[in-house]
Amino acid sequence: MKRKKRIHSVIFHVGTCALGFLMIYPLLWLLASSFKSNDTMFHNAFSLIPEKWDIVTNYSSGFAGVGGQPFTTFLFNTVFVTVIGTVGCVFVSLLAAYAFTRIKFWGSNFWFGCVMMTMMIPAQIMVVPQYIILKKLNLVDTRIALILPWFFGGAFFIFLMTQFFRGIPKELDEAAEIDGCGKFAILFRVLVPVVKPAIVTSSIFAFYWIWQDFFQPLIFMSSPEKYTISLALNMYLDPNSYNNYGGLFAMSVISLVPVIAFFIIFQKYLVDGIAMDGIKG
Amino acid sequence: MGKMKKITAAAMAAAMAMSMIAAPVSAEEEKKTIKITWWGGQSRHDYTQKILDLYMEEHPDIVFEAAPSGWDGYFEKLSTQTASGSMPDIVQMDYLYITTYAKNGSVTDLQPYMDNGTIDVSNIDENLLATGKSNGIMAGAVLSSGFNAFGYNPDVLAEAGVEEPTNDWTWSDFIEMATKVKETTGKWGTSSDPVLDTNDFHYWVRQHGEQLFSDDNKSLGYEDDAILASFLQMWKDLMDAGICPNPDEYAQISTLGQEASPIVTGDGAFISERNNYAAKLSGVNDKLKVVLPPLSDDSDTKGLWMKPGMFFSIAETSEVKDECAEFINWFINSEEANEIMMAERGVPASSAVRDYMIENCELNQQQKDMFELMTEATDYCGETPAPDPVGIAEVNEALKNIGNSVFYGQVTPEEGAAQFREEANEILERNN
Amino acid sequence: MKKKRVKTVYKRHDNIIGYTLLAPWLFGFLLMWLIPSIISIYYSFTDFNLLNTPSFIGISNYVRAFTKDAKFVKALGVTFTYVLVLVPLRLSFALFVAMLLNKKHRFLGLYRTLYYVPSIIGGSIAVSVVWKQIFGNNGVVMSLLAVFGIEQKLSLIGNPKTALGVIILMGIWQFGSSMLIFLSALKQIPYSLYESAMVDGAKPRQTFFKITLPLLTPTIFFNLILQIINGFRVFTESYVVTDGGPMDSTLSYILYLYRRAFTYFDMGYSCALAWILVAIIAVFTVILFKTQNGWVHYEAED
Repeated sequence: MKRKKRIHSVIFHVGTCALGFLMIYPLLWLLASSFKSNDTMFHNAFSLIPEKWDIVTNYSSGFAGVGGQPFTTFLFNTVFVTVIGTVGCVFVSLLAAYAFTRIKFWGSNFWFGCVMMTMMIPAQIMVVPQYIILKKLNLVDTRIALILPWFFGGAFFIFLMTQFFRGIPKELDEAAEIDGCGKFAILFRVLVPVVKPAIVTSSIFAFYWIWQDFFQPLIFMSSPEKYTISLALNMYLDPNSYNNYGGLFAMSVISLVPVIAFFIIFQKYLVDGIAMDGIKG
Repeated sequence: MGKMKKITAAAMAAAMAMSMIAAPVSAEEEKKTIKITWWGGQSRHDYTQKILDLYMEEHPDIVFEAAPSGWDGYFEKLSTQTASGSMPDIVQMDYLYITTYAKNGSVTDLQPYMDNGTIDVSNIDENLLATGKSNGIMAGAVLSSGFNAFGYNPDVLAEAGVEEPTNDWTWSDFIEMATKVKETTGKWGTSSDPVLDTNDFHYWVRQHGEQLFSDDNKSLGYEDDAILASFLQMWKDLMDAGICPNPDEYAQISTLGQEASPIVTGDGAFISERNNYAAKLSGVNDKLKVVLPPLSDDSDTKGLWMKPGMFFSIAETSEVKDECAEFINWFINSEEANEIMMAERGVPASSAVRDYMIENCELNQQQKDMFELMTEATDYCGETPAPDPVGIAEVNEALKNIGNSVFYGQVTPEEGAAQFREEANEILERNN
Repeated sequence: MKKKRVKTVYKRHDNIIGYTLLAPWLFGFLLMWLIPSIISIYYSFTDFNLLNTPSFIGISNYVRAFTKDAKFVKALGVTFTYVLVLVPLRLSFALFVAMLLNKKHRFLGLYRTLYYVPSIIGGSIAVSVVWKQIFGNNGVVMSLLAVFGIEQKLSLIGNPKTALGVIILMGIWQFGSSMLIFLSALKQIPYSLYESAMVDGAKPRQTFFKITLPLLTPTIFFNLILQIINGFRVFTESYVVTDGGPMDSTLSYILYLYRRAFTYFDMGYSCALAWILVAIIAVFTVILFKTQNGWVHYEAED
């Protein structure tokens, strides 16, 4: 029995590692390329082992930045926008999802339909009208313009949390209500601990999406000192001239570090939902 | 269920929205602030900023607000800004889109500034200057010039025992050389995508004494579909013989960008490109050379023409047009600016600047060759055609798809040529 | 509970709380979605090319899409194929891996990260380069096929018949977000349920069908809706890897719409295309929502 378990475990680890390699190969490629010198970068482009190492030049030329701004400026801007955007997005979505699932109010179905609708509209055509509105509000080329589309929640997150809320038995709230809790207290004291996995998942997604968002920053921003990383990386490349790929790849690696770190830290909170054990069964 | 309220709310929102579309947008910037935008890579952003700083030093009343951008998304952003009336004052403009901007009145007519001498164009070739003319206005001031050219790797030719081409070579010379390279070395004879856009084909059409687009831009300008059919047939033969990569192989080759193309890495002999090819890649391979594109075997018609590298245009909505024009003049003609620029935007349009740079700047061999080729090319240039019509991007796409289906063997070159005429005429009719 | 047509009575107190909770989202919705939507619907009835002043042309744009535009039909076909093939495959794969990673193993955090990585590096240049390499004509896959005696003239990514397959495979490869959602839903299932089932002598297969699957239905439903919506809006994959080619075989609807808007200066028409797509997705979504009473199991509605 024990032996069988062991074999199972070995199979599991070998299998997941092999599959994992396929998953991570592009990332390894990016990392390896960021170590290669510019002139040998494409000689054996697909090899993961650099022919000629040039880490220092690549990373220093990358950090030197572009458009008169050091790369740290872009890093700071992105962190700033992403953190505020994520917090707002998850919090506002949580409130909305709670309202949709636990409170019977006039028009709730209509508004939920609107939530779903916003998911279906192609962002590509919304950007022009959005720009016009931001322009009216004098918000073009401000960091607020970058945060605004995210801060007030997102359909994806509302829908996700709605589904989780609906998976929680109503007895839980009712018990709390009998104990004299208000609607807000129920949400934060009783429900939030239970839907923690959904909140963590939403945070991971929101963080990544805001971090790598390209199209909206591209259209809304004009001053390099307010650019985010995705815009800055685009500025390294011009298909019609000679490019500093080394610096570009180096900074691509740097830009992925926070996203992956955020994931590694937060995925730990995806642990078993003990909170519900008391109620069921 | 409060239907009325809903309707009122919707109506209000709609009214708000409409007012936003209709209301004129007021520019609130300071008097002498010039907003300028361009696309490019890291080095262009860095040196352009230096040029702007220098200009501000000399002109304390001018402040630049620079918005550098990558090529990806540059025109998406520009059109969005224009849509809301906030086009930057000076924009770097591409040949592909200048007609569209001119036709819609988004850019200002620079002719008056050229006439009154604000922008000095006396050292710019007339034909080249005329490429900025569209819809009856001077829509852009040309910054640099370029033309179709073939890049080649001399080492590969030497390895194959092929002599280097000269400017008077013909298409049959080209095919012969490329074939020999393939046969003796097994390397690519030539490697480029002939239907990447209409550029190569345009040259071909002109060599046949025709023009690609009609004068009113509403249809193709040539009558005989055999012109396109022969063009496609030539390249298909090269592909079938393994001398030129087919679209499938080319897609893989182009994955890594021009820095890794066969000509650069020594795995191929020729590439159909532009005159700045060797200069821009001198950082990866300093052996590359450039020659004028092959001449026609049976016609003396001059197919080549001077092309603009890129333009500076001024927004029609700009409130500092005079200041912009002065800056553009300085950017094109001044020695200081061009010393910093070092022909990175292509061969400078002004011949005086070119002469100055040859004598006073430390140009590398590729840049010197590029300047020389520029002078030699004038003898081979015919009349400059009108700028590409509105809808050119769509026509390019149509040629690409049809060309590829010919190269894949799905349709014959003749069928492809007829199909292209049909599609292109529909697009041109719709857009012009 | 059978549905009766009873007019719901709303308590004033609940209305106030409901709208208070919804207010921040409503504000953002109005500003960034509702007004822009109205503007773009207006554009869809005009000849707006981004640079001109839009002038009203009635339903011409819509008529043009359905009667005169072969590429519209082509792009719609590509997108439907993409959705219908990708969604079931991606979801089952995501669920499978999520179940695998839900067990107690060492290095679990590491594995989760590995499997999520493809979703993070999504549309970057590295992905584009590597995918073209793997499926290109000198790539690993072609060599493997050759070993098994399948010699092909064209590579999988260069062949118009198979290129979409590569794009779909790439979509499956990026299953990380669906997996994560499944994983967090699995975490919500109380362990005590499994314990009591085990005491009753249930086999793993039985617990999966009796406990796991029913309790996962809200999440499956969510992922299904989400993937269908996102599938219809696929853009990055075909933009970055194949740019719609070869010969439009991977021209997704959004890629076409995007080109119409910004490359061909056809914003009015592009807006019409966008709202046609919204209508199509909405139909699918509404149908799915209607079916959910039949198979989705919500604890909150016992």
